[in-house]
Amino acid sequence: MKAFFGLPEEVIFCKHCIISNQRPSSTVEFRHKHDEKKATIGFDEHGVCDACRYHEVKEKQISWERREKDLVELLDKHRRSDGGYDVIVPGSGGKDSAFTSHVLKYKYGMNPLTVTWAPHKYTEIGWKNFENWIHVGGLDNILFTPNGRLHRYLTRQAFINLLHPFQPFIVGQRIIGPHMAAKFGVKLVMYGENQAEYGNNPDENYKPIMDRKFFSVGNPEEMFLGGKPVRDILAEKQFTLNDFAPYIPPSGDYLESKGVEVHYLGYYLKWDPQECYYYAVENTGFQANSERTEGTYSKYSSIDDRIDMFHYYTTLIKFGIGRATYDAAQEIRNGKITREEGVQLARKYDQEFPKKYFKEFLEYISLTEEEFHATVDKFRSPHLWVNENGEWKLRHAVWHESGVNSAR
Amino acid sequence: MRSIRLIARLDIKGPNLIKGIHLEGLRVMGSPNEHALRYYQQGADELIYMDCVASLYGRNSLSDIVQSAARNVFVPLTVGGGIRSVDDATHLLRCGADKVAVNTAAVANPKLISDIARRFGSQCMVLSIEAKQVGDHWEVYTDNGRERTGLDVIDWVKRGVELGAGEILLTSVDREGTRKGFDVPLIRAVTQEVTVPVIASGGMGKPEDLIDAVRQGEADAVAMADILHYSRATVGDIRRVAQAAGIDVRNYEYV
Repeated sequence: MKAFFGLPEEVIFCKHCIISNQRPSSTVEFRHKHDEKKATIGFDEHGVCDACRYHEVKEKQISWERREKDLVELLDKHRRSDGGYDVIVPGSGGKDSAFTSHVLKYKYGMNPLTVTWAPHKYTEIGWKNFENWIHVGGLDNILFTPNGRLHRYLTRQAFINLLHPFQPFIVGQRIIGPHMAAKFGVKLVMYGENQAEYGNNPDENYKPIMDRKFFSVGNPEEMFLGGKPVRDILAEKQFTLNDFAPYIPPSGDYLESKGVEVHYLGYYLKWDPQECYYYAVENTGFQANSERTEGTYSKYSSIDDRIDMFHYYTTLIKFGIGRATYDAAQEIRNGKITREEGVQLARKYDQEFPKKYFKEFLEYISLTEEEFHATVDKFRSPHLWVNENGEWKLRHAVWHESGVNSAR
Repeated sequence: MRSIRLIARLDIKGPNLIKGIHLEGLRVMGSPNEHALRYYQQGADELIYMDCVASLYGRNSLSDIVQSAARNVFVPLTVGGGIRSVDDATHLLRCGADKVAVNTAAVANPKLISDIARRFGSQCMVLSIEAKQVGDHWEVYTDNGRERTGLDVIDWVKRGVELGAGEILLTSVDREGTRKGFDVPLIRAVTQEVTVPVIASGGMGKPEDLIDAVRQGEADAVAMADILHYSRATVGDIRRVAQAAGIDVRNYEYV
């Protein structure tokens, strides 16, 4: 059966968590094109995914004491006491960035400047948590909101060309840290969790530093945004190169000359998303949402953006992996839930259509409902989806496994 | 005069006792039975067992846990989570539960309240309500505080009692796990409307928090979880604080 995006034709699910081998690794987003062949998460001969294998290493082999010493050494190198900032922490004020910034300031004595690339459309709870992060948590922040006309245009293009509406946001979020570091003369940028833990090339887990390829570029006109070369967008005469300022990453040479280094706190401290929740509730006034997010069971992660669910809806379409699967896989690895519970959660929530903010999303990307569905259907790979009597069904789902009883 | 009951609440997922904040971020706390026995020995008047994944699986998985608790815990046991029929209730009562608590299934099918009450008596039928403040009123939630129902708590509690609920377990999702004290206005709003006993649950941060729940809220019982699981106080400590405040509780000497 033909597989789109160079995905593995045979679908398998990790025997330990529930992620499938269709999960793509992070890519360099501003080179992301439609015909790109995706690298995907690795599985070993026992049918266990890289993320689970790495979790074993994290539990058993890494000396977290040693890593914390390395952290303190790194921080000592950058620490200032002259009233200047010494570390940039990009984030939204969600539980993870709340933990990262607060612990750096109040436990390790740093002077962080937090920077936020604004969500597409703030939710009420997201705005409240953002404000509490600063007001209750006691941190400085720069909220950067990109030109909405361009950001909406790019999000629309990313949806139509790549079925990846979050792509422009991801680009912005990744470069805002190094950008601000260079501007404020700060050499250290600290992100929270290392995404590699979830199935990027595992070698990246053994490095504290983010590869510069993720945030540097040569000629900006050659960048791809929304799956389209910037040059072509400029040719349409709606926007000028100046409009792209926040998307143009600082060059590698420039960052090198300024000595900017991008690290992950998750490399130095044993990362547990649930414990970040507890920390953020206690220290930065963080609150879980008043109801669960559509497409999953959780109500405490990634709750600040009204169009967030459409990111996970598109991963369901392209890779057969919805939000509940991502959430449950992580919680299984971290020992919060059993695999059996994870399977049931995925069965119940993974394919739920995000209705709540659907209208707002369509307005945001100026698309009709029909165009939305037509675009979505173009990205359903035949090896994942089959249309039975007008209804799209997943050919493979973790809850189809034998031994999984469906609820009464 | 009525005695105020001190109830230990155990939320359970799979084999584990768990605890969250606003019923979210569920931390594994350990073995349910070890905790249950400890609270019993400390003098808890009753225990509540809630299966928080029951709605997901469509069944209550607490039979084994309840059976083994019933062997060495000799105070009333209330069991909730995933009870969808009189048969489900029968099964748990046979395992050793004294009362059953129903939330999600009662919202979907209010007749279940009458069916259980008729079969076993109202004293056995606890209506569990997860209440969250929305604007100036409280809304009923289900599925461990994850789903809204659109029902107003006060309307629902009145309806539930009419249908035969003999007791209300009232959990404030806003306060649950926060240690900020009970949602006293919520408790009061409910106790003023119904004559059946109301168990206040969610928010007990320190033993003194119970005083407002009882005096102002007029709760008949308080359910405690976080404060006991994290050993911030024992049931004995809480009993002493209640007595010192002039609240009538069962006399119990912990030896």
